Amino acid sequence: MSLKPKIVEFVDVWPRLRCIAESVITLTKVERSVWNTSFSDVYTLCVAQPEPMADRLYSETKHFLEQHVQEMLTKKVLTDEDGRPDLLQRYYTTWMEYSQGIKYLHQLYIYLNQQHIKKQKITDTESFYGNLSSDAAEQMEIGELGLDIWRLYMVEYLASELVRHILEGIAADRASNGSLDHHRVQIINGVIHSFVEVQDYKKTGSLKLYQELFEGPMLEASGAYYTDEANKLLQRCSVSEYMQEVIRILEYESRRAQKFLHVSSLPKLRKQCEEKFINDRLGFIYSECSEMVSQERRQDLRNMYIVLKPIPDTLKSELITTFLEHIKSEGLATVSSLKGENIHIAFVENMLKVHQKYQELIADVFENDSLFLSALDKACASVINRRPTERQPCRSAEYVAKYCDTLLKKSKTCEAEIDQKLTNNITIFKYIEDKDVYQKFYSRLLAKRLIHEQSQSMDAEEGMINRLKQACGYEFTNKLHRMFTDISVSTDLNNKFNTHLKDNNVDLGINLSIKVLQAGAWPLGSTQVIPFAVPQEFEKSIKMFEDYYHKLFSGRKLTWLHHMCHGELKLSHLKKSYIVTMQTYQMAIILLFETCDSLSCREIQNTLQLNDETFQKHMQPMIESKLLNASSENLAGETRIELNLDYTNKRTKFKISSALQKETPQEVEHTINSVDEDRKLFLQAAIVRIMKARKVLKHNALIQEVLSLSKVSFTPNIAMIKKCVESLIDKQYIERTANSGDEYSYMA
Amino acid sequence: MADDPDNSVPAEPEKMFTLKRWNCVCFWNWDVECDVCAICRVQVMDSCLRCQADNKRDVMGRQDCVVVWGECNHSFHHCCMSLWVKQNNRCPLCQQEWSIQRMGK
Repeated sequence: MSLKPKIVEFVDVWPRLRCIAESVITLTKVERSVWNTSFSDVYTLCVAQPEPMADRLYSETKHFLEQHVQEMLTKKVLTDEDGRPDLLQRYYTTWMEYSQGIKYLHQLYIYLNQQHIKKQKITDTESFYGNLSSDAAEQMEIGELGLDIWRLYMVEYLASELVRHILEGIAADRASNGSLDHHRVQIINGVIHSFVEVQDYKKTGSLKLYQELFEGPMLEASGAYYTDEANKLLQRCSVSEYMQEVIRILEYESRRAQKFLHVSSLPKLRKQCEEKFINDRLGFIYSECSEMVSQERRQDLRNMYIVLKPIPDTLKSELITTFLEHIKSEGLATVSSLKGENIHIAFVENMLKVHQKYQELIADVFENDSLFLSALDKACASVINRRPTERQPCRSAEYVAKYCDTLLKKSKTCEAEIDQKLTNNITIFKYIEDKDVYQKFYSRLLAKRLIHEQSQSMDAEEGMINRLKQACGYEFTNKLHRMFTDISVSTDLNNKFNTHLKDNNVDLGINLSIKVLQAGAWPLGSTQVIPFAVPQEFEKSIKMFEDYYHKLFSGRKLTWLHHMCHGELKLSHLKKSYIVTMQTYQMAIILLFETCDSLSCREIQNTLQLNDETFQKHMQPMIESKLLNASSENLAGETRIELNLDYTNKRTKFKISSALQKETPQEVEHTINSVDEDRKLFLQAAIVRIMKARKVLKHNALIQEVLSLSKVSFTPNIAMIKKCVESLIDKQYIERTANSGDEYSYMA
Repeated sequence: MADDPDNSVPAEPEKMFTLKRWNCVCFWNWDVECDVCAICRVQVMDSCLRCQADNKRDVMGRQDCVVVWGECNHSFHHCCMSLWVKQNNRCPLCQQEWSIQRMGK
C-alpha cells in the first residue's frame, strides 16, 4: 500500500469500512488483513485528494454509531426475546460488548483521531483557563464520540429504570445481610461503574453524570433506610446493644459500599450512615453515659468511643466532660480524707494510682485520644491544685516535695525502685501550679539532707535535680545546683585539709568534717548568728581550718553555723563507755562537766554565752535522755543540772534527738510566706521588664503578658498583680497615661 | 570523778569526755563592708547583673563572678569594676584613684 494521497470516491470506500466497523464494534472476529485494509482506508479518506474527506468520514461514523446504539437499545436491551432475566442484566451485557468494541474501533480510527481531531482539540492550558467556547460542532475522538452517543441514546433513556433496579438490588443485598449472589453483585457494580466510565474521558466533571443520575438518589434511599433501621433498633435495644449494632452496621455498610459503589461515594455514604445512626441519636447514646463512665464499663465505653470517634469534637464533649468529672471525683475521694503523719506519701501515691489507672484506661479504651488525655490532665490538675477552702492554701506542692524527701532520705528501699518512684513523682509534679512553693520546700529539704548527710545516694539526688531541670528549666534548679556544688567542693576541701594536717604532723584528735556553704545560696531560714562562746576543745580545729581556708581563698570570711553542727562525743564517766551523737551546743554543755558534777543553768549559760531559747531547746532533750538530771522542770536561773552517774543504755552508740531536724508548723508557715514575698518581687520585676520593652501598654495586655511569664513557676492571682502595679506606680517605675485610665507607660 | 573508786575507769589519765567526730557547717561571705555592689546594685555574693543574664559559670558550675577590693577598701564585682574603670579610673564611692588592693578567689 502506498502512503501517497490519492483520489478516491467516498462512496467506494465507506460501505466497506462501515461493514468492518460493525464487525469491530460487535466484537465479531476480523481477519488481520481485513483490519489492515480498513486501517488504511481510514488513512486514505483522511488524506484524499483533492479534498480530505475526514469530516465526512467523521459524520458518517457518528451517524453509524448513533444508529448502532439505538438498534442495541431496541433489539438487545428493551426486548427479552432470548429470555434474559431483566433489564440490568441486558444493559450490563450490552455495555460490556459496546464499551469493549468502541475501544477497538477507536484503534481502527487512530489516524483520524490523531491527525485530524487532535489538531482541533483545545489544549490543556486553554481548558485550564476555561476560555472554552463549548462549540457544539466540535469533533471528538471516535472512542469518546462512541461513549457520548451511548450516554445520549442509552443511558439518558434508561436512567430512571436502571437506577430503580440498582437501588432494589442494593436493598436486596441489605435485606439478605450481604449475601446477594456474586454474579448479581458484579452486574450491579458494572452498571453503576458504566455511569462513570462513560464520561471518564472528560478532564473535568467526569463524575457529574454518576453523581446526578445515581449517587444522589442512592444516598437519599440509603438515608431513609438508615433512619428506618435506627428506629427499629431503638425499639428493641439497650444503649449498649444499640452501639454494638451500629458498629456492626457501619462495618457492613462500608463493605457494601466497596462492593457496589464508585470509590468517590464511600465517604459520603459513611457520613450518611453516621449521621442517621449517631448524630441523630446522640441523646439516646448519651442517655447512659454517666452510668457507663462511673461503673467503668470498658466494653461499652470502647463501643461508645468507636461510635463517637468520627463525629465532630463538640458533639463528643458530653462523654469527655463526664469522664473528666469521674476522674476528678475519684481523685478527690482518694486524697481529700487523708490524715496523719504520712499524708504526703499517701497523697502522691494515691494520686499516682488514679493517674495510672486512667492513663491505662485511655490507652485501652480511647486509643490514647488526645481529647481524653487532656481531660485526664485537667482532672488531675484540678484535684491537685484544689484548695480545701477558699482561705486555706493548697498543700500539694508541700506534699510532693516531702514525698521526694522521703524517697531521697536514707532508707532500705532499693535504688531502682526509688528511681522509678521519683520518675513517677514528676508526673504529679507537672500538675502543680505553685511550682515555686514546691521549689521552696524542696530546696529546704534538700539543704537539710545535704547538711545532715541523710541522702541515700548523691546520684539519686542529682538525677532528681536533672528531672526538675528538664521539667521547669534552668532557672528553677539553679539554686539547687549551687547547693549541690558546695557539698562536692567541701568534700574536696576536707580531703585537702586532712592531707595538709598530715603533711604538717598535726593531729587534732577528732575526725573533722566541715561544710563550707556559699551564703545566700542556701535556704536555711534565719542565718542570724546565735552568740556562742566556742569551747576550747573546738577552737583549735576551727583555727587550723580557717588558716588553711584563707590560704586557699582570699577575700572570704567564714561564719560558723553552730546550730547546724553535730558531732560524736565519747563518754567515759560511766560503767560502760558510750559514743553519743549530739549537737554542738549539747557537746559544749557536757564538756563543762569535765571538771564538776553539777552546774546551775545560769552558770552554763554564762560560760557558753547561750541565750535562753537556744539553751532550753538543747538542754531539754538531754534531760529527757537522762544523761543529765535537772533539779526543776524550769530550765533557767538557779536550777541545778547534774551529771547522771547511774546512766545506762543497752546501746553503746546512740543519738540524742534534736528539736532542730523536725519541721515545725512555724517553719512551714514561714516557707509559705516567703513564697508570697518572692512572688511579689517576681511580678514586679516582670512588670518592669515588660513595660520597659513595650513603653505603653493597656492594663489587660499587661496582665496577659505577666501571666505568660509567670506560668512556669506559679499562677498569680490578678489582685496580686494589681497590687504590684500600684506599688510600681508609687515607686515611679510606671505611670498611668494621661488620656486613658487603663493604660500604663514606662518611666525611664 | 576520774578518781571515783566506784568507777572502773582505767587508771590512765583519760578525759571523761572526748570529742570523736565533729561535722560542722559554715557560710562563706566576701569579706566586705557593704553587701551590695554599688555599680550593679546586686548583692556581691550573687553574680553581677551581666553574669546573671549571660549565665556565666566556671567548670565547677559555680558562678564565676568574684569581688575586687580597692586601696580605698571599697569593694565591687570585678566584672562591674573592670567596665567602670574604662570610663573613669576612680572609685565610684569615694572618687579616689582606683587601684586594686586584692581580688576575691
